[in-house]
Amino acid sequence: MVSNKTSTDRMASLQSCMRKVAEDRDKAAFAELFDHYAPLIRAYSLAREPAADLVADELVQEVMMRIWLKASKYNARLSNLNTWVFTLARNCRIDYLRRNSRFVSEIDPTEMFNNIEDETPGPFQLVQQNRAQDNIRAGLEKLPQAQSEILTKVYLEGKSHQQTSEELKLPLGTVKSRVRLALKKLEVLVAR
Amino acid sequence: MSKASIHPDESLLTAYSAGSLQLSQALCISAHVEHCPKCQQEVQRLNKLGSELMQRLKPAPTSEDLKASIMAKLDEVVESPEAERPVRADKSIPRCLHQFVNSGYQELAWKRVSPDIHSVELCRDSNGAKVELLRIKPGGAATTHTHLGDEYTVILEGSFSDESGLYRKGDFLLRDGSHRHRPVATQDGECICLAVTEGPIQFTGLFSRLLNPFIRRSYA
Repeated sequence: MVSNKTSTDRMASLQSCMRKVAEDRDKAAFAELFDHYAPLIRAYSLAREPAADLVADELVQEVMMRIWLKASKYNARLSNLNTWVFTLARNCRIDYLRRNSRFVSEIDPTEMFNNIEDETPGPFQLVQQNRAQDNIRAGLEKLPQAQSEILTKVYLEGKSHQQTSEELKLPLGTVKSRVRLALKKLEVLVAR
Repeated sequence: MSKASIHPDESLLTAYSAGSLQLSQALCISAHVEHCPKCQQEVQRLNKLGSELMQRLKPAPTSEDLKASIMAKLDEVVESPEAERPVRADKSIPRCLHQFVNSGYQELAWKRVSPDIHSVELCRDSNGAKVELLRIKPGGAATTHTHLGDEYTVILEGSFSDESGLYRKGDFLLRDGSHRHRPVATQDGECICLAVTEGPIQFTGLFSRLLNPFIRRSYA
């Protein structure tokens, strides 16, 4: 298992690669980002469509190109690099599914998922957000397997609660309550 | 009696963050989230959760060919010009709706549905769900109806009430097929809503029941 120290060092070196890509259009730095993120993006795609290697490669290409093009828009102070890459990958996947589905949706998703990132948070919110990321990372380590399995299905495989309940042969209510319980433990839900 | 829910529940927010909602549903969540600091914060954290789950995946190695071909393209690619956001003429219109509404709701081709209600269809989703805007005049009432599928509503302007409570600008409502309701706009102003219906609406009033066959046909 990766210790906290190593993962912090890793993040710092990826952040510095991002800076070099943004400021100097540094291809060696981009290659380092590629080595870290491309296999994760590929795994993310395969989680939803196992064995669809071409789709996975296409998603890798799409996301890595956006990283290259949008590097100068990335602000390390405002958002965590992993989260930024995740939202890019998610948005590309939505776009891909839209373009390739049998029934075309007339809705353009471009402005639907980015209405949050560009609000400028104050220093207090920034500290809070960083702490939230740490809490979620640490919390995932401790989560019972039954709960993290469901989160993985919902997030990475893109399954609905209904599909998850069918696959795991659990009542829908159980799936929902496990998701809710996990989100509470990870302090994702703001007190209601 | 519990207070009526005006936020999407955590399963909807999670699916929104995971990118697995139908786009028409995501459109409603997005319109709500833009006006709701609480849900913004939750979506931010849900995105962080997604990123941490992604980091825990077993990496699937990429081929050297793929890397080489992407590296070779770096000098050629340029950001497409439409990536620049259009200037927002009216900030009270949610960003996600700018693809349908440019300068204001009045520019749309509203159609009269009843003396109190006008509507305009914006588009259809891939599952056939109808995305429309409804405009209810002050104090005006919609016909009592139920739905064959789910109905998602976000209030864009004004407010309305129904059997379960009072709803204001930005509020999100989800009504399923078992729910029979009759929304009434408040007296102080016009109410404009974004509505997504997954199946045809069923009118339940004595007279308007006769309309059902016609309404259903428009979904065929």
